[in-house]
Amino acid sequence: MFITQISVYLENNRGTLRKLTGVLASAGIDMLGLSVADTSNFGIARIVVREKDFSAAIAALIDAGYMAMKNQVLCAAVPNRPAGLDSVLAVIDAQHLFIEYMYSFNYSLDGNALMILRLNSDEMDNKAIIRNLTENGVRLLTQEEVNAL
Amino acid sequence: MKKNDSRIYDPAVECMDRDELHRIQLERLKETVKLVYDKVPMYRERMDAKGVKPEDIQTLEDLSKLPFTNKSDLRDQFPFGLLAADKSEIVRIQGSSGTTGKPIVSGYTENDVEVWTEMVARALAAAGGGKDDIVQVTYGYGLFTGGLGAHQGATRIGAMTVPMSSGNTQRQLMMMHDLGATMLCCTPSYAIFLGESLKELGYDLSEFQLKSGCFGAEPWTEEMRDKLEELFDINAYNIYGLTEIAGPGVSYECPAKDGMHICEDHVIAEIIDPETGEPLPYGTRGELVFTTITKTGMPMIRYRTHDICVLTEEPCSCGRTHVRMGRITGRTDDMLIIRGVNVFPSQIESALLRVSGVAPHYMLIVDRVNSTDTLEVQVELTDEMFSDKVADLERVRDEIKEQIKSVVGISATVKLVPPKSIQRSEGKAKRTIDKRGLTE
Repeated sequence: MFITQISVYLENNRGTLRKLTGVLASAGIDMLGLSVADTSNFGIARIVVREKDFSAAIAALIDAGYMAMKNQVLCAAVPNRPAGLDSVLAVIDAQHLFIEYMYSFNYSLDGNALMILRLNSDEMDNKAIIRNLTENGVRLLTQEEVNAL
Repeated sequence: MKKNDSRIYDPAVECMDRDELHRIQLERLKETVKLVYDKVPMYRERMDAKGVKPEDIQTLEDLSKLPFTNKSDLRDQFPFGLLAADKSEIVRIQGSSGTTGKPIVSGYTENDVEVWTEMVARALAAAGGGKDDIVQVTYGYGLFTGGLGAHQGATRIGAMTVPMSSGNTQRQLMMMHDLGATMLCCTPSYAIFLGESLKELGYDLSEFQLKSGCFGAEPWTEEMRDKLEELFDINAYNIYGLTEIAGPGVSYECPAKDGMHICEDHVIAEIIDPETGEPLPYGTRGELVFTTITKTGMPMIRYRTHDICVLTEEPCSCGRTHVRMGRITGRTDDMLIIRGVNVFPSQIESALLRVSGVAPHYMLIVDRVNSTDTLEVQVELTDEMFSDKVADLERVRDEIKEQIKSVVGISATVKLVPPKSIQRSEGKAKRTIDKRGLTE
């Protein structure tokens, strides 16, 4: 139920994000989702691409001198109505899970907004997290569903 | 690792009571100072300028009254300006290329060659060398002191000496194998290359007789020692020296492998503060300074090596009484003074290596903002350090910051940079950028 995201280290310089999008553009990569976490010293770009583009995206980024790596995140379908997100976060909260970060997606699916979630737990392993969320009505997308977007 | 058959070449001298050693040192120092004052115009002028006469040297502490000698002096006085003996008494010239301009050369009398030979003999004996050994000398022969120095020492201990000189890896290994060489004298980096080639060329290590090696002429690390000992199944010993003083053998390791004993009956070693020139006590890190006390061709008074290390007078388990110097941890040429604190790139490196996952690829950028020095340490990210979480990266950064503070004593800003973004260098790595415009 996890999907793969590519994380890229960004130095806090002028033009740094344009350089990144330029590299991905040259490699013909279609970004499905992008979020940039910024601190006063550095940033981390998190990018979602289709599975077929993983290798090409990572290779292009590393060739261009970036620190880039794949990591696992959850992609949740959030009802596109008032209190939709609140209902998902309520489940997460009830399970005593921490949200490391989250960001919304450029795509929607069956009337749902898509959110990337990076969760953490003191007690549960990843499997248990997924089980607890799905059992409590949170719809998580598979990598295949993301590939088909 | 093969059995250790280390021995002491000259126990009467190497294990001499320190009071007796100091008495001999003082006597020899007085003779040397008188010799250079009488024979070498540069020393006489400098002593006169400081108002010091040879008679003012009455204790070993009086050494600090004498002026320093620098590498630039050897260049300025090139080739024979610093000779204290008549040119006809000189039987050998050795030299070092130097990275810029003219080489420096040193003239040896018969006595000086003898002194040097004895130093190397002590080092080889400490590494287990004797008349039954076959010593392969893989240092270059020529003006460079490595080849001939090791050659003379090996001949002195009665070993079968194999003057291979450097290069030609296949032939080195073939001779080492066919002759059954038991000892290797080589630079540590080339020795590692030889060891790796041995495997690649399909040799069987069990067919080699090598038991130990004396490695020097460049700084190396304990990790390299482990590697060498594993590659060849030997005991690997460190040996140190410099042409200006004699050559390899000025100091050498014993089986304790815990610092190199300095041949104190031939040289007096001091550690000084590289900025003020003040002598520092044993156990303090600083610049190594040598005064020769038995050389007659080209004696050196308080020669500044620019090498940074620590001296210790603590008794050694091997029984030798001569002080030991630790590994060279830097060069004063690399030193930065930041907010009045001496900072060596090597210290930053050791701080970085304390943080798990951090590789020693870094750059120090010193600047001055509002009259205050600032230090920025750029550190390359590794796969192990990187994370998609901001908190993880901040944790690594803060840990590096903390280690630098604890090792160096000053706070730095740490900037994580992408892998391979810091320039790699074939030779001496450039580790610092000083933007303060203080250097001439």
